[in-house]
Amino acid sequence: MLDPKNFDPGAYVAAVAPAVGLQLSAERQARVAEALALVVKVGAAALTRPVPESAEPAAMFRP
Amino acid sequence: MSALDNTRAALARIAAHDAQVNAFTDVLAERALAQAARVDAASLTGPLVGMPFAAKNLFDLKGIPTRAGSKIRRTAPPATADATLVARLEAAGMVCVGALNMDEFAYGFTTENSHDGPAHNPHDLSRVAGGSSGGSAAAVAAGMVPVSLGTDTNGSIRVPASLCGIFGIKPTYGRLPRSGATLFVAALDHVGPFARDVATLAAVYDALQGPDAADPSQVPMPVELVSPGMKAGLGGLRIGRLGGWFDGPQTPAARTAVDAVAKALGASGTAIWADAEATRAAAFLITASEGAGFRLPELREHLEDFEPLIQDRLLAGALLPAAWIFHAQRVRAMGKASMAALLADWDILIAPATPTPATPIGQEMLTMEGVSMPLRPSMGLFTQPISAIGLPVLTVPLQNAEGVLPIGVQLIGRPWQEAMLFRAARVLEQAGVCAAPVAPAFTD
Repeated sequence: MLDPKNFDPGAYVAAVAPAVGLQLSAERQARVAEALALVVKVGAAALTRPVPESAEPAAMFRP
Repeated sequence: MSALDNTRAALARIAAHDAQVNAFTDVLAERALAQAARVDAASLTGPLVGMPFAAKNLFDLKGIPTRAGSKIRRTAPPATADATLVARLEAAGMVCVGALNMDEFAYGFTTENSHDGPAHNPHDLSRVAGGSSGGSAAAVAAGMVPVSLGTDTNGSIRVPASLCGIFGIKPTYGRLPRSGATLFVAALDHVGPFARDVATLAAVYDALQGPDAADPSQVPMPVELVSPGMKAGLGGLRIGRLGGWFDGPQTPAARTAVDAVAKALGASGTAIWADAEATRAAAFLITASEGAGFRLPELREHLEDFEPLIQDRLLAGALLPAAWIFHAQRVRAMGKASMAALLADWDILIAPATPTPATPIGQEMLTMEGVSMPLRPSMGLFTQPISAIGLPVLTVPLQNAEGVLPIGVQLIGRPWQEAMLFRAARVLEQAGVCAAPVAPAFTD
């Protein structure tokens, strides 16, 4: 799910931000990359956690 | 005292003290006095009749914009009706006197709000009140109101309750209706009250229960009143401590507080939840993504109007891959299952609420037991894994944990077992281990 060693927050922000309609200056991109690095650092404990195929997501929609 | 007397007294205390605490963003004197007059004219009975309260400013209050701590929403149309929880408290005879300071869009643990100014901790005005319901906790701790409403996505009731030294209940996910409250992360948002004593907290919690067809997230559970059985004591309850992740870096004050509560409740062992860190990480990812997704149109158009402390965090969250969030939701489900297995052996688990008492406003880093970490997200180290799986938690306060500063301890229960938590909290209060007097500087 995640290879923290090869994940490049700066390159990722530069590539993805325009795709969701966010036009960010280079200075802003650098700060967002820093924030993303923290998300990845904290989130790694979940993203590197193997889950069996039977594990359903917690979100539930009740019609 | 009549409702009018109580309301006038609360308004006078707010006028006298809020300039120091900055808990209130809106003081609604005219509305409050009108409601108080209606209460006095009616023949209502019950423990809450005539009692003032205030609500975090993400709850709709008819006639004013629901700002949710933001600059952007200040020019929104006024709410046309009260949030369900506000309406329920006023139906029980309470009087809403205003709206309370918070972290913008509930994204924070310190209520350092650049638009409204920081909420100050009544025990030490140079320190944070906690967040995101910081105004809610500070208003109660300073004695301006006896009760307030807040929300808790990752710890936003439990963290400020801990830092301000008051009681707070984050009920089971889906127990109380969220209708009329601005959402932050729908998958994780809870609502609940604060108070300075267990009986009042119980009475308020009881008044808040009940089905609400307007809330699609509410779980259809029956009303389960906690006040009638609150004095039942600890008989039959299996109480333990949470170790592992919850024994991680923290201040001596946090450790001493947990020890005191565990001893007073006769905790008979320690439970290790191996999925705690992964579950906390899952909550962190879901929060970043969903919290930002809710605000994406505003981020595109009004980025510079957002709270500076969260602009970059929101932007980063808006970019997270969907596959990561899907995975995080599955990890969350696994965490729920492994905790459920653990709770087959325990009725209540004890854990720190915050790793530290209140820290100075503006502090960026936290160093505990040789480990340094960013302060703001770390305030939720011990609360975030628990709300991620929706368990009910009652935060109990211990005073003078570090000098004049209080700290809180989490009493964690199985889903829908809030009543057990109130029994334990009442025992701690009766034993004098836990109490929430008005902060000494505000006892006039």
